[in-house]
Amino acid sequence: MNTTPRLLNRLVLGVVGLVLLALGAAGLALLAVPAVAAWWRTAAPRAGEAVDGLRTRTTLEGQADTWLWIALAAALVFLIVMLVVWIAAQGRGRTGLFAPGGTSGALRPRGEDGNGAAAGSVTITAAAAEQALKAALLERSDLAGASVSTWQVRGVPGLRVRVYPRKGVPPYVVAVEVSRLVEALDAVTGSRPPVLVSIGSGTRVRFTRPERVD
Amino acid sequence: MSAGPLERTAPAPASTARLVRRELHSSRAVPSVVVAVLLIAGCLLLLFEAVLKAVGDEPFLLDVEAAAVWLGTLPSGVPASLLGAASSLLLVVGGLLLLLAVLPGRRARYTIPNGRTAVVVDAEVVASSLARRARVAAGVAPEQVLVTVGRSTVMVQVRPTSGVPVDAEAVRAAVADDLRRSSVEPGPRIAVVIAESGVIGQ
Repeated sequence: MNTTPRLLNRLVLGVVGLVLLALGAAGLALLAVPAVAAWWRTAAPRAGEAVDGLRTRTTLEGQADTWLWIALAAALVFLIVMLVVWIAAQGRGRTGLFAPGGTSGALRPRGEDGNGAAAGSVTITAAAAEQALKAALLERSDLAGASVSTWQVRGVPGLRVRVYPRKGVPPYVVAVEVSRLVEALDAVTGSRPPVLVSIGSGTRVRFTRPERVD
Repeated sequence: MSAGPLERTAPAPASTARLVRRELHSSRAVPSVVVAVLLIAGCLLLLFEAVLKAVGDEPFLLDVEAAAVWLGTLPSGVPASLLGAASSLLLVVGGLLLLLAVLPGRRARYTIPNGRTAVVVDAEVVASSLARRARVAAGVAPEQVLVTVGRSTVMVQVRPTSGVPVDAEAVRAAVADDLRRSSVEPGPRIAVVIAESGVIGQ
């Protein structure tokens, strides 16, 4: 449910992979194909001369070396910042609000006249909803563990419920029971957020005894 | 059971489908972070050398000019075995990254249709539930049943207790019933294998 940039991840991985593939193929070609090695023997000095010419042309008066080094450093700084931003973008999207008060989609307490036009609004934090649902889940004996987190899904808060049933518990029973609890939470909070129920099996489950009583 | 006003804010099926799709496929976050960290390390080294060059200092770890000259003389300046090995390594790593980018990266998970929530189940949980049903249907101990849940097949292996025959059809029916009740999507094919030799003392 996070906002990990999946397309960007795949694009960058693909580009880096292609570059590495090209480098590896070039190295092997230099080694194995004499024609490529001969071409490189003539092309490399020419490329070197071109770079030398560029360096002399970009060296300012009274300077020892070209200002391109500074430009290269600036470009590298920019690239590093972009890469750090890319790392920071992974797994983002958690939110601390379950039902934000205020304008659209908010919970409005009924006024004395009952027409819903009273002043004020109710905000439900994510922790409240998470703990209510988690407490209800942990009461069940067929679940070895549960965790609930709140994420921003397409602009609205959504719940991610991860439950770890004991060995042998049918997942469809767990799905129905968890959905029933979610509907109870809907009734209590008066909102109907998107909910993802993820039924998994962790190391804790593997070492617990299977549930023996149906 | 839901009241009228609640229905208006029901999540659109499209958003639920998106949630499920994202849950069923890998996000490639871990390889992305690894690649980013390696790229940052390389960029930092180059940056350092570029700044040293700009201020006219001695190179620190990597002499950029010497490296460029070495690159120009490449097939001769380095042992052929080393160049070959390094190139092969680059090819393999590049190929792996390209596969990571292109392959769908499906996780071993299924989705169960539900009216209110989006539900995804790890294949391991499905296998555990099927193993229990198969064990009850075959009348054997838990250690005698092995269930493997693949993307399109469910493999049930039963080692019967010596002298007590196991009804393969009953096991298949039990497993099929459990799969039908959880209605996992996509629905897998069922294969039941009863071992030739039985076991004693389970």
